[in-house]
Amino acid sequence: MTPTVALLESSTLIRQGAEAKVYKSYLYDGQISGSDARGEPILLKYRFNKQYRHPTLNSTLTRQRIAQETRSLMKCLRSGVHVPGLRMVDAQEGVIGIEWIEGESVRVLLGAEDEETEGTGDTSDLPDLEQLEHDPLAKFNTTSSHVMRLIGTEIAKMHAADVIHGDLTTSNMMLRQRSDEGTEVLIDFGLSYVSALAEDKAVDLYVLERAFASTHPDSEPLFQTVLDAYSKINSKEWKAVGRKLDEVRLRGRKRSMVG
Amino acid sequence: MPGKTRRGLSSPLKQLDRDYLALGLEGSANKLGAGVIKHSPDGSVTVMSNIRHTYITPPGEGFQPRDTAQHHRDWIIKVIQDAMKQAGIEMSALDCICYTKGPGMGAPLQSVAFVARTLSLLYKKPLVGVNHCVGHIEMGREITGAQNPIVLYVSGGNTQVIAYSQQRYRIFGETLDIAVGNCLDRFARVINLSNDPSPGYNIEQEAKKGKRLLSLPYTTKGMDVSLSGILTSTEAYTFDKNYRPIDTGEEGTFTPADLCFSLQETVFAMLVEITERAMAHIGSKEVLIVGGVGCNERLQEMMGIMAKERGGQVFATDERFCIDNGIMIAQAGLLSYRMGFQTALSKSTCTQRFRTDEVAVTWRA
Repeated sequence: MTPTVALLESSTLIRQGAEAKVYKSYLYDGQISGSDARGEPILLKYRFNKQYRHPTLNSTLTRQRIAQETRSLMKCLRSGVHVPGLRMVDAQEGVIGIEWIEGESVRVLLGAEDEETEGTGDTSDLPDLEQLEHDPLAKFNTTSSHVMRLIGTEIAKMHAADVIHGDLTTSNMMLRQRSDEGTEVLIDFGLSYVSALAEDKAVDLYVLERAFASTHPDSEPLFQTVLDAYSKINSKEWKAVGRKLDEVRLRGRKRSMVG
Repeated sequence: MPGKTRRGLSSPLKQLDRDYLALGLEGSANKLGAGVIKHSPDGSVTVMSNIRHTYITPPGEGFQPRDTAQHHRDWIIKVIQDAMKQAGIEMSALDCICYTKGPGMGAPLQSVAFVARTLSLLYKKPLVGVNHCVGHIEMGREITGAQNPIVLYVSGGNTQVIAYSQQRYRIFGETLDIAVGNCLDRFARVINLSNDPSPGYNIEQEAKKGKRLLSLPYTTKGMDVSLSGILTSTEAYTFDKNYRPIDTGEEGTFTPADLCFSLQETVFAMLVEITERAMAHIGSKEVLIVGGVGCNERLQEMMGIMAKERGGQVFATDERFCIDNGIMIAQAGLLSYRMGFQTALSKSTCTQRFRTDEVAVTWRA
């Protein structure tokens, strides 16, 4: 049993996403340090073996994707984009360990249902009304337009480093819980890649715009705030990206179907 | 939200006071089909007949619109007569005549729509224009009993991942270029496989003999896939110096069977991956595979393993209902007819482009 497998077995499964199982874990426990402290928690993303895929194809894809995700995270970290720090990578086993972010997803902060409770149709475990009326943003001592500015800033920094996220939605952004002002952290780089093309950056923004429209119909005007912040930070590229974004909007993703 | 289970919401379909019968006519591609379906007051659905005649071209050739339309014109009377005879009913007993409005090849669609119109006038029966893709989904749901599945619709012309939400079948992912069936059929032509009974079936049989997995591009983009590059790469392998049209047993060589195997493994892995992503996104545990490629047993097997890993299950049908047929048009048509939908004669056109999400699915809660 490799150390990575042993680590996985000692971890707590949080959920199973489309590609990976996500665990909460600790890299070292009290026995080593001699105290009760287990250090900071980390998040393990385990791209487990897909039995349906041919083993050769599966291991090639897993290694490729781990490398891609790691590369994007490294590039972001070097450029000062707020992303989870890297803690460990095991391409052979398909495991990547990143910093545990304590906070809340922007999706929940903007008042949409949590992805976890959605789809079950079960209403018994919904928070009671008192809690619902309470603005979740107040806990972070911030406003929605401020959160939008933070989002625009982080995406701009990421794009300036030529990293394309590939799956920008409000579920993939978190507000970190800190005593000082909140920082917005981009997560889940599973579909990310490196590109300098204005087209790719525009599509990235378009995906987010569509996600806003479908998940937060009321906060749609706020998306303009995201773009304003983006254009300020990534002013060098904004002219090209903005123009492309208009093109992409007209084009849409969906072509008319033939046959 | 998409995929939300709507417990407690009853079907908007009213209970029937007698049996309802519909004739369905399909001819959007090289399959010509006619079928009669019966909806009974107790809620049961009976397939009275399901007749199909396929236009088969020689190896290495695809079907051209003009010749396919000619085939449909030559055979449609016989196919409809057989369907009525097998169902054991007269035209006068029908409640409506359903035909494929689109999407599909123009000329074949027109030939069948023309016959539907004529029958409608002759026997004074209302017409119902049906979206081909919705026909596939409704028939798949009826046969398998899947309640609210993620649908993978894979055929010669379409590749889509679909989920139902608020009176629409919404497309979550689709091919960015060619359809998966098109990719397989065209490769069958490259290696001169027979088109009888279908090129896809022969690729499946050939792939069972394949052993070596050759590296091909793997292109998923979120919930979308791109397939044209894979076809080109597989074709390019047939010019490789290690390619042997007939197995010689030499070390390091590969055969058409290996190419079919590699093509299937790669393409199906992509399809299962985007389906899984849609399942995770929506929180659904059921998958329904429809369309001609859906009767490929390797695809069904792979989808089954994926569903099991997620604690769900897969639903699929056999070639009678997977491959284009008349009965699915009758089923979807009768459902919308029961909700009061009819296509006026002046509106009984057909169209090559007709997206799945354009149809108002009034018969579901």
